[in-house]
Amino acid sequence: MAAATDQATREIPYVKAITEGVQQSLHEFPEAFLAGEDVAVAGSVFGIYKGLLAEFGEKRIVDTPISEAGIVGLGVGAAATGLRPILDIMFMDFLGECMDEVANQMAKMRFMFGGKAKLPVTVLMMGGAGMSMAAQHSQSLEAWLCHLPGLKVMMPTTPYDAKGSIIAAVREENPIFVILNKLSLGITGPVPEEPYAIPIGEAIIRREGSDISVVAIGRMVHEALTAAEELAKDGISLEVIDPRTVQPFDTATVIASVQKTHHAMIVHEAVRFAGIGGEIAAQIQEEAFDYLDAPVARLGAPFAPVPYSPPLEKAYMPDAKRIAATARETLGR
Amino acid sequence: MADGPSNEVLLDIHERMVRIRIFEEEAGKLMENGKVPGALHLYVGQEAVAAGVMAHLSDADQITSTHRGHGHVVAKGGQFKEMYAELYGRVTGYCKGMGGSMHISNFDIGILGANGIVCGGPPIAVGAAFSNKYRETDQVAVTFFGDGASNEGAFHEAANMAALYKLPCLFVCENNGFGEYTSQKRHQAIRDVADRAAGYGMPGVIVDGMDVIAVYEAAGEAINRARRGEGPTLLECKTYRFYDHVGVRGMGIDYRSDDEVKEWKQRDPIKLLEDRLAEQDVLSNDDAAAVHERVRSEAMEAIAWADASPYPAVENLLDDVYYNGE
Amino acid sequence: MPVQDERQSVGFRVGPVGILCNPASGKDIRRLTARASVFDNQEKLAILRRAMQGAVAAGAREFLYVPDSHDIASTAVEEVLGQADIGCEIVAKPVDAPQTDSALDTTRGARAMRDAGCAVAITLGGDGTNRAFTLGWSDAPLIPISTGTNNVFPRLIEATIAGAAAGLLATGRLPLGEVATRAKTITVEVEGESPDCALIDAVLTSDRFVGSRALLDPSRLRALLLTRAEASGIGMTAIGGLIDPLSDDDNGGLLIEFGKGGFRVRAPIAPGHHEAVDIRSIRRVELGEPVEFQGLGMLAFDGERERLLKRDQRATLRVGRDGPWVIDVDRVHTRAARAGWFRMDASA
Repeated sequence: MAAATDQATREIPYVKAITEGVQQSLHEFPEAFLAGEDVAVAGSVFGIYKGLLAEFGEKRIVDTPISEAGIVGLGVGAAATGLRPILDIMFMDFLGECMDEVANQMAKMRFMFGGKAKLPVTVLMMGGAGMSMAAQHSQSLEAWLCHLPGLKVMMPTTPYDAKGSIIAAVREENPIFVILNKLSLGITGPVPEEPYAIPIGEAIIRREGSDISVVAIGRMVHEALTAAEELAKDGISLEVIDPRTVQPFDTATVIASVQKTHHAMIVHEAVRFAGIGGEIAAQIQEEAFDYLDAPVARLGAPFAPVPYSPPLEKAYMPDAKRIAATARETLGR
Repeated sequence: MADGPSNEVLLDIHERMVRIRIFEEEAGKLMENGKVPGALHLYVGQEAVAAGVMAHLSDADQITSTHRGHGHVVAKGGQFKEMYAELYGRVTGYCKGMGGSMHISNFDIGILGANGIVCGGPPIAVGAAFSNKYRETDQVAVTFFGDGASNEGAFHEAANMAALYKLPCLFVCENNGFGEYTSQKRHQAIRDVADRAAGYGMPGVIVDGMDVIAVYEAAGEAINRARRGEGPTLLECKTYRFYDHVGVRGMGIDYRSDDEVKEWKQRDPIKLLEDRLAEQDVLSNDDAAAVHERVRSEAMEAIAWADASPYPAVENLLDDVYYNGE
Repeated sequence: MPVQDERQSVGFRVGPVGILCNPASGKDIRRLTARASVFDNQEKLAILRRAMQGAVAAGAREFLYVPDSHDIASTAVEEVLGQADIGCEIVAKPVDAPQTDSALDTTRGARAMRDAGCAVAITLGGDGTNRAFTLGWSDAPLIPISTGTNNVFPRLIEATIAGAAAGLLATGRLPLGEVATRAKTITVEVEGESPDCALIDAVLTSDRFVGSRALLDPSRLRALLLTRAEASGIGMTAIGGLIDPLSDDDNGGLLIEFGKGGFRVRAPIAPGHHEAVDIRSIRRVELGEPVEFQGLGMLAFDGERERLLKRDQRATLRVGRDGPWVIDVDRVHTRAARAGWFRMDASA
């Protein structure tokens, strides 16, 4: 578990924190470059790389063709030969276009070559629903990546973590994905000006509580915190855990919390079936079965693609209300 | 004084081809006799391609290879002992026994891996070429792939990016006429993969892949062009695999005629070269036979060494999933 | 229409139109070293198809084609026969020749066309293709269509018109002698080995191997015999052409010895490449006059390294006017137009 954020700093939005994370990483490593679709001239369709082309030039900020497999392949080859690529594949839904490069090349190269390859590749992409981007631009596919030995996966939820995750990822010597959240781009929060890395594989407790441990993945952290605020009025105390890294997963922090609260709930925006909530629930029952006073609750999206129509999309995603209701149900209060 | 490749180069090319042939013949025996596990895709028949290209490369130049990759690795300087040990799944292998036939690599001499995924290599080679340009070296990245791989989307993405960024990269298509068991006529409407080059904005050249000197000349032109910063080339080598898709005799699938195989074997690239070297008094038949003999005894020694090597320990299974600091 | 008895006179030919396409032309290393043009197979198919359509429009109904490894000719035939609006009965058959996927296919295909009584042949390829063709059918009535930039013998000509000329010829309406010129060739006798031929140039180089075939390094040139020395040509022909031009109509040839001790000429020895070449001597040779090349060296014909001349082995070369009858497509059409063959009854 990590210490809470230093509060005496300026506040900037998540979107700017991403830019700063990439910018400072490029300063830190001359062998680092950013490549992806519309990252240079356009500064990304999400505006996350604005100004980087002017600062670093075309050699290091590289617009690519719409070729996700080509982009990831380029990153693998460049990393294997001494560079430190930062790749952007825009919407994480586009993983499908490059899954061979991700799953069969990037993830496995080190292992299948007997430890010879070192691949310091960072892949940035935007996940999550909530903007009526429909079924192919709204998914939360972190489970795909977590299932692949050789990869690491971070899901920063705050501006502080966005910058710190990117810097940590670029410093990392293994392939690592940083799944950003498009609905969080406008969230503001304190972000120190100097470079810093948040530790990979360490969860953070966003709110301490005593009645139930809520493991919230990605943007669900904010929904869980809202629910916690609401339930506090009724004297129900939620402990909100933000794993921050989903691969490797900080099981110890979760288990310690469950041992304290005796109740657990996992909430993610991804489809519930075969989502990482199932894995976390299994780990809790393996390691803290005797501490549990109720079955582990899981909240996730229904087994359907993300709908376009706003009321349906709203119903599709777990929110503070459902988190609160599920907490009450688990606690029987 | 006659012109063209020097005697030194010719003998070097010959040695590389013989090394590939003998490595593969012995590997094939090991597989068919059940001595090594897994599937071997043997390179016999295609030696001129690997040898003709690799004769231009230094250890610093990178290659990506294919599932039929032993030939590339041998020609790039892979050592028999570590290669056979890898086939045996032993800890002394190039990949500590973790990769096997389809993943032999040696980064120290620029081998960024054989690859079990058809068209796995080209995007990675493009990345290496990008890196070479970024680091302002004169290294060249060469990717070997087959006619079948040229139908993969990854090929098009890689070729487009290589040409777009004018990368020091060479695309070597080893057109052996088959994607696994499907003949080229049945897997693409074109016959010359080189025709595709124009679509990406790079030159496409066809060369007789059974004639190592033709390959050597063409590859030299393309590699020099890449080193000069003039961009990638697609070099299509028309060749043939003498053995089956997998193994020597293979799976007994009826997909090509014995006559066809026999016809191609008449243009055995090693025989073709040896005839010419004898004709030019570069290497007599007896001296050529001595090379074969020497290489074969090296292979036998390497096999014995590999067979005597230990397996990797089960407790080390997770060691190299991630880099954890050296 | 010409009268029936004219058709029987010497020079008139009636028979199928022969079609041959070299799938390998326009693809070799010169695409890289010289940025020579690429003729991909779709383009060759399209050219062949237009040539057939032109021939059909001019009255040809019967075709013979040489099957090729890339199925270019057979596909063109299939496409033309499958055309819904073709409006007439067309017969197109493959010649009976084994396929080897080498230059041998061209030579054997040419021979088979001759034996099957083709009235005229259309070839798609470069100098090398037509050389291989000539080895099989030396006095063919021929319309060579160029698919490349490095050629002297075949012409860059629109295939529809070339095909129409073939059609006009094959229906026996024009005497060959009036519209065609017999090309010069170089016959090559190699001591103790099979003879050879060239249409434009025969070269002795210091290369040791056939390799990628192209003549890559001008410093390796030793001797050159030309049937034509074209001042505005490309390749070996230009070396002679820029010193002492000699046309296809002129009898005789031009012999050049390379090396120091003479003078230099700057010539386009390949597309995109002007190079300075050292000329030791240059002289005209008569038709039939023997010229000797001596090994060790490489013999190159029409721009491609072909065969090794062993140490002290001799090759005797002679320029003769005994090559294919190359049809002047413009002359064919001009004559046909003057005869009024293209006028139609407007009321019909």
